[in-house]
Amino acid sequence: MKTSPLSKTFIYGLLGIGSILMLLPFVWMISTSLKSGNEVMMMPPIWIPETFRFDNYVEAFKKAPFATYFLNSVIVMVLSTLGEVITTILAAYAFSKLNFWGKDVLFALLVGTMMVPGEVLLVPNFVLLSNLGWIDRYEALIIPWTASIFSIFLLRQFFMKIPKELNYAARVDGCTNFRFLWSIMIPIAKPAIVTIILLKAIGSWNAFLWPLIVTNSKEMRTLPVGLTSFSTEAGTVYELLMAASTMIILPMIILFIFLQKYIIKGIAGAGIKG
Amino acid sequence: MKKFSLLVFLLMVSVLLVACGDDKEEGNASNAASGDKKQTETAKTETTEPVEIEFWHAMNGDHEVWLEDAAAKFSEENENITVKLVNQGSYGDLSQKLLAAAKAKTSPTIAQAYAEWMTEYNANNLVVDLAPMINGENGFPADASYEDISEVFRVDNTFGDKVLGLPFNKSTRVLFYNKDYFEANGLTAPTTWDELAAAAKTLTKEIDGKQVVGMGFENGLAHEISMWFEQAGGDFVDEKEGKVLFNTDAGLRALTFIDTMLKDGSARMAGEDGYLSGPFTRGDVAMYIGSSAGLAYVAKDAGNMNWSTAPLPKDVEAAAPFQGTNITMFANSTEAEQAAAFEFMKYLITPENTVDWAKATGYLPVRESAQQGQDWLSFIEENEAYQAGNAQYADGFIDVRLPGSYAMKNAISVELDKMLFEGATPAETLEAMSTKAQEALDQAK
Amino acid sequence: MKLKETAKAVLYLSPALLIIGVFTIYPMIKSFFMSFYAEYDYFNDVVHRYGFDNFVYLWNDAVFHKALQNTFIFVLGVVPVSILLSLWIALMLNSITFLNKFFRTIYFIPFVTSVVAVSIVWRWIFHSNYGIMNYFLSWFGVDPINWLTSTEWAMPSLIILSIWKGLGYNIIIFLAGLQTIGDTYYNAARIDGANRWNRFIHVTLPQLAPTTFFVSIISIIGSFKVFDEIYALFDGKAGPSNSALTVVYYVFDKFYGEWNFGVASAAAYVLFAIIFVFTLLQFYVSKKKITY
Repeated sequence: MKTSPLSKTFIYGLLGIGSILMLLPFVWMISTSLKSGNEVMMMPPIWIPETFRFDNYVEAFKKAPFATYFLNSVIVMVLSTLGEVITTILAAYAFSKLNFWGKDVLFALLVGTMMVPGEVLLVPNFVLLSNLGWIDRYEALIIPWTASIFSIFLLRQFFMKIPKELNYAARVDGCTNFRFLWSIMIPIAKPAIVTIILLKAIGSWNAFLWPLIVTNSKEMRTLPVGLTSFSTEAGTVYELLMAASTMIILPMIILFIFLQKYIIKGIAGAGIKG
Repeated sequence: MKKFSLLVFLLMVSVLLVACGDDKEEGNASNAASGDKKQTETAKTETTEPVEIEFWHAMNGDHEVWLEDAAAKFSEENENITVKLVNQGSYGDLSQKLLAAAKAKTSPTIAQAYAEWMTEYNANNLVVDLAPMINGENGFPADASYEDISEVFRVDNTFGDKVLGLPFNKSTRVLFYNKDYFEANGLTAPTTWDELAAAAKTLTKEIDGKQVVGMGFENGLAHEISMWFEQAGGDFVDEKEGKVLFNTDAGLRALTFIDTMLKDGSARMAGEDGYLSGPFTRGDVAMYIGSSAGLAYVAKDAGNMNWSTAPLPKDVEAAAPFQGTNITMFANSTEAEQAAAFEFMKYLITPENTVDWAKATGYLPVRESAQQGQDWLSFIEENEAYQAGNAQYADGFIDVRLPGSYAMKNAISVELDKMLFEGATPAETLEAMSTKAQEALDQAK
Repeated sequence: MKLKETAKAVLYLSPALLIIGVFTIYPMIKSFFMSFYAEYDYFNDVVHRYGFDNFVYLWNDAVFHKALQNTFIFVLGVVPVSILLSLWIALMLNSITFLNKFFRTIYFIPFVTSVVAVSIVWRWIFHSNYGIMNYFLSWFGVDPINWLTSTEWAMPSLIILSIWKGLGYNIIIFLAGLQTIGDTYYNAARIDGANRWNRFIHVTLPQLAPTTFFVSIISIIGSFKVFDEIYALFDGKAGPSNSALTVVYYVFDKFYGEWNFGVASAAAYVLFAIIFVFTLLQFYVSKKKITY
């Protein structure tokens, strides 16, 4: 399609304004996080503080154990992602390449449960975990999240695309199911798996409601939960609040910028299926 | 080859399953272990072995700093006892987490709690009766006796013949006012509602380039609404009969007073600032009624501003609520932990500590000897802002403690919000508040 | 052969099914029963009586009605605007090559960030005295708005934040959808002498129908489940006088605030029913329309 230079300029102008609007909150956040208390409460606002007070970050760290929160978030993210990838690969393989009794019914059932909002599960899961004695422990934060029907669905679609001929060829070579999965399917499906990993990692990093409910002590809180409790404790000391927010937001933005290819592909891939 | 890969796979699966299984067993094992510990520790009642007690609280800022210092000092004096402080954020968060923990059987040893929460814990047998400890050989020493604690605060913790808590942070409401603004406009601190309204009107204007609002109300006005009713000459609730009494002319007068000021702009809520200490110290608000525990926050942020407090303005009557939490002890702790926790609870309100606490935070000393002691009296002599709270003991009252009073407050809060935020008239609000509050009380009967 | 494969499949499926069974399927059923707990001691997990009391309670509870109403307002406020905006942006992005990826990245950034953290940032943006929102509006002569402290503006604030947050996701899906439209369609249309607008109406839009369908399902379902934003934006409350109370927030309140498990479960099932109906409805409509 050809577009005239005039309308091109117009489009670039609009997209540019849009981008500024998208980024402004982050700029405002970082700018506030470097201000002094007086500069924060100023009207009209100042965008570039007189001196960059990196002390605010130190102060935020002093007021709440963000290092602990950070570590918890990382542990939960890594372990639940690892668990989910393993269970997903195995299950997706069974659903795509094995011909077993009750397969279609089971798959339909699982996909059907995707429609049930997670909020329905909140109360019974809390009761279950408290009966197991897992409340305020890593188990509660990790184990329920080590399988995802959505990921299985996603990877199954990808596995389905791998031609049957490969399967036959492998079998002729005396290759077993597991070896076939390990040495042929997984390498081929690598982009899809990376996507699953990244989406899971982002989801886990940002998860809030569940960690809020299953953690009681500071030692077990993840970053988002720690941030909301910090927001109650710090009250309205916005420079500290923004410093803390920056610490949570920045790692994900950096991760995203480096790995966006996979993330965007994954989301787009999942989207077209609809 | 085929078998081998199956084996590998089985291993993978079993590792996963075992991993879960392990956790479960570990959980059971540690439960069993703590059960054992309980038994062994019950055997010897003296706290000779190291004990850790967990204290969940909602103290922030300088309040938390004082608490941390006190816990450290206490542990120095009692080498075997470590106090682990867990800040749960706001009182609302604390309440949620305490219930969650009770459900999961992971309650802390002790926690701050309002009397109305303790009513419910008691109904579910979650808390320990302290009476045996108070009257036991490790009870209060003679020079700092249990009876020395002000009667209102003891009553607040007494449920039938059980004592379910000891008072800790008790506050009252006072009027904070900006002396600079008041003096510049030829005003003195208001002593009556009419003076308050007039001062708020005068001071709602631009001062030094700032758009100032005369008067401020804290968020959660429902928590102090009984005070306004009492001051207007009305009553709140008949505690014996469980009857709501505020649907009267006095009640209407109170709501109308608040509503008028908010509507004409001479007053504002704390709103997004959370507490009014922020806007007050910035000079955005000329005066506000808030907890005496805000003294520490205001003092810290006031800078060059001249400010003080005054006793609450009265209307028909003078009335000042005594609020704040107690410390209660949970039943799922070992006897050793309970003994250690009791020591800590006593320690926090020794005559010296309760005064020290009051000086640092703006809370009130909970002991009569402390309230009348030289130390405290000379302190408030020098620190004008602390006098208002002390002057209000005569007009003090405590909140109702009835089954259902928590639900009643929620119902009142919902209806009051309709007036504050949605333009409901005081008359219809009063009517709805009274009906809903009565329903909540009746339901709990 | 099939028996052997079934045995194998059991092995492959067991880890996933174990987790899903215990933490999804079982709670789903349990929750259903919980919604009929009429008298329940949550400390000791003992049910004294079953009944329809919880549903009756919801039927009569003005607060729940408000939550439902707010949720619908939220969905209606977010979904159409978000879809139109993201479609528009995606079309613009699709028509440029230079800086295309750069813009795409920027629009997507809010989506990967923590809802809680950005909501706290927006709380600061919306501050009535010192926030930049009112500052920018003051350039246009607009008086300061009490975004977060008035019942009129709490919901619009939430909607603005949610549109900003979710825009990137929709854009990406629309872009993917646009890329599947082959040039042949456009060429054919061009030969027919269709102008730009006609091409958009007769080629792009119908071809995008499945994508639009997907985006709207996802957006509607996602919007029905809004919670984190509210909790963080209003600092652990549902806005002044419950003006931003949604169904999920109501569930949270009943469950974690009041420990009324029965009502919480019943409300969660009502939410499920609503989402279910919408999903079916959309499937039905899309089946009718997207056939050519």
